[in-house]
Amino acid sequence: MTKYSGYMGKLLMIDLSEGSEKEYPWTDRDRELYLGGKAVASKIMYDNFTGREDPFSEENLIIISTGPVTGTFAPSSNRFDISSLSPLTGISSSSNCGGDFGFYLKKAGLDALIIRGKSEKPIWIEIDDGKLSYHPAEELRGMRTGETQAVLRKKLAELHGPKGRYGMVSIGPAGENLVRYAAVISGERAAGRAGIGAVFGSKNIKAIVASGSHEIKLHDKEKSMEHHKKWTAALKAHPITGAQLPRLGTAGLVSSMQMNGQLATRNFSAGRFEDFEKVSGEALAEEENISNSGCLSCPIRCSRTVDVDGKKVKGPELETLGLMGANLANGDIKLVCRWNHELDELGMDSISCAGTIAWAMEANEKGLWDNGLKFGQVDDLSRVLEDIAFRRGIGDELAEGSKRLSDKYGGKDFAIQSKGMELSAYEPRRAVGQGLGYAVSNRGGCHLNGGYLVVLEGLGLNIDRQTPKAKADLCMFMQDFMEAISLCGHCLFTSYAVFPGFLISKANSPIPRFVNFIIPHCGWAVRMLNKLPGMAFMNMPLIPYTYELKYAVGMKMNIGRFLRIGERSYNVERAVNARFGVSAEKDKLPKRLTDVLQDPKDPHSRVPLEKMKKVYYRARGWGSDGLPSRKKLRSLGIR
Amino acid sequence: MAKVKLKLFGLLRIDSGIKELELEASTVRELYPLLLKELRRRDPKCSLEEKDLRACVVAVNDRRVKPGARLSPGDVVCLLPPVAGG
Repeated sequence: MTKYSGYMGKLLMIDLSEGSEKEYPWTDRDRELYLGGKAVASKIMYDNFTGREDPFSEENLIIISTGPVTGTFAPSSNRFDISSLSPLTGISSSSNCGGDFGFYLKKAGLDALIIRGKSEKPIWIEIDDGKLSYHPAEELRGMRTGETQAVLRKKLAELHGPKGRYGMVSIGPAGENLVRYAAVISGERAAGRAGIGAVFGSKNIKAIVASGSHEIKLHDKEKSMEHHKKWTAALKAHPITGAQLPRLGTAGLVSSMQMNGQLATRNFSAGRFEDFEKVSGEALAEEENISNSGCLSCPIRCSRTVDVDGKKVKGPELETLGLMGANLANGDIKLVCRWNHELDELGMDSISCAGTIAWAMEANEKGLWDNGLKFGQVDDLSRVLEDIAFRRGIGDELAEGSKRLSDKYGGKDFAIQSKGMELSAYEPRRAVGQGLGYAVSNRGGCHLNGGYLVVLEGLGLNIDRQTPKAKADLCMFMQDFMEAISLCGHCLFTSYAVFPGFLISKANSPIPRFVNFIIPHCGWAVRMLNKLPGMAFMNMPLIPYTYELKYAVGMKMNIGRFLRIGERSYNVERAVNARFGVSAEKDKLPKRLTDVLQDPKDPHSRVPLEKMKKVYYRARGWGSDGLPSRKKLRSLGIR
Repeated sequence: MAKVKLKLFGLLRIDSGIKELELEASTVRELYPLLLKELRRRDPKCSLEEKDLRACVVAVNDRRVKPGARLSPGDVVCLLPPVAGG
């Protein structure tokens, strides 16, 4: 039970080996400290992991968690997280997903589901109004995710009648075959990164279905609805959330990245691709896009719908366009749309898969591994994707990811990964703050967990992309801020509206130019805010999240407290990873990005990582080993 | 004056339906009124103003430049409204 609204007041832990289930203790104090989502998962891992657990062992946990606003119908607020020890990185990892599963998990009466142990045989799990049933899934084995979900809907209609409404997550063949970057798919959305699909596979879970009739209560319904209305209007009026994302999707960034030299090309050997127009957001809109769509309660509707073999399917996001386009030297957008769909169906992360293939192409080019893969020669890549998912031929090796392959064959300097996780499509030598973020990110080479500084470095605001000045402080601030947004259950895309629209749409006017000039001089202010969050005891209309927590959840909140929650989440996750061997030595990037200039004529076109890392650790209050001390953890209330 | 290829991107391209034009100008800044004239010729209801074009990111031969940048014959000029997020 809880005094707060929005929450269902129950975390359920099941053990598939023992066949037991019990409520996981979680108090209102925990809710105040960790809010929800991934922070809940990190704290559970902190309390349960010793550092000796293997991702594929029965001791590993799968934690599916929601935020307090998930399902409250606040704008863009139906996110949920799946966290576990990652088979790709061996450390704690969390994958955030849209769609509607989070909403239905709460309708089933749960804030989080924690799974331990391993089922003897393949199963799918049903949670109906808090009651769990385990169904055999032998006949679903080998099925792709779309077919799996269609068969389950049919079965559910037979069991409960045709009118039932359900949220589902499932894995495809890649998860069953323990591909280290296998995804979990929910409808058409993906908890894509870190290989959590393979953890599902290792526990013999093919799918989880949630439904129920629990009410998700609002603390002050009238004020909440009024707030949602204003917030939705602000999102619709903003140039990014109201125009660019609905009309071009994330794919709209490809052209801008090209102009900034930030478009990862030929395994990050360059930042510009000669055929970028063919795989741009404009090409997607003009030639492939049928319509746009969105998650439950989302006014942004950034998702693309395209045609593949006469079927309407989800179109590629920027990451897939960049990494399966420019990074493989492929200028055929129809192929990218096809592979994007096939990856979803097979249940694999497009970022790690494409990053691994790009590494393999270069390894082949350099004579390190004769695998037949070549940049720009990609007609047969569908077969390679299927071979990875079913672990056939070279697919069996590609399923291990670029780090393990470079350990085996050599070529570590161009294995574009951090902590074992392949980087997203932003070439960081032209956005050095993003480079720092990739390196220090808790879960590995992730743009979002890394603080997504590229949004300040040319893809939104326009601060100096090459200077290390203030990047460490900004990285910390953005990580904490985005973390807190995510813990609520909100989509990170709502955060673009935090930047006043004119800073982006009037980028060349005097005020935006001044703002872009001054930000790299304000690292000290960011650090001071982090040291003394009490300074930010107020709420501001530009930051709607704190109002949402007050009105919908009934939690006392201000900006300083909100940022502190984000910081706590980042620190507890770091503390878990420390048990699994993470330290400053693991916060690194491949030499290609730190030692090789993108432009030989420009001495600044590399990531000055070591310099920024030192400042970053100091800003975080961590030791030079890159870890929070016990004192630091205690000061954040982590016990 | 240099004859250059002007390419449009983002919503500017989607809304106008223009992918590229050939224009003559000495600097990027001189291209704005010429482009506006062409946009209005094609669509008399076009509500864009020069200040909207001035807000765009400009790249010449794939390198970002300021609006005062001088142009040479054969340059490819890309004009992209500001974008964010991904």
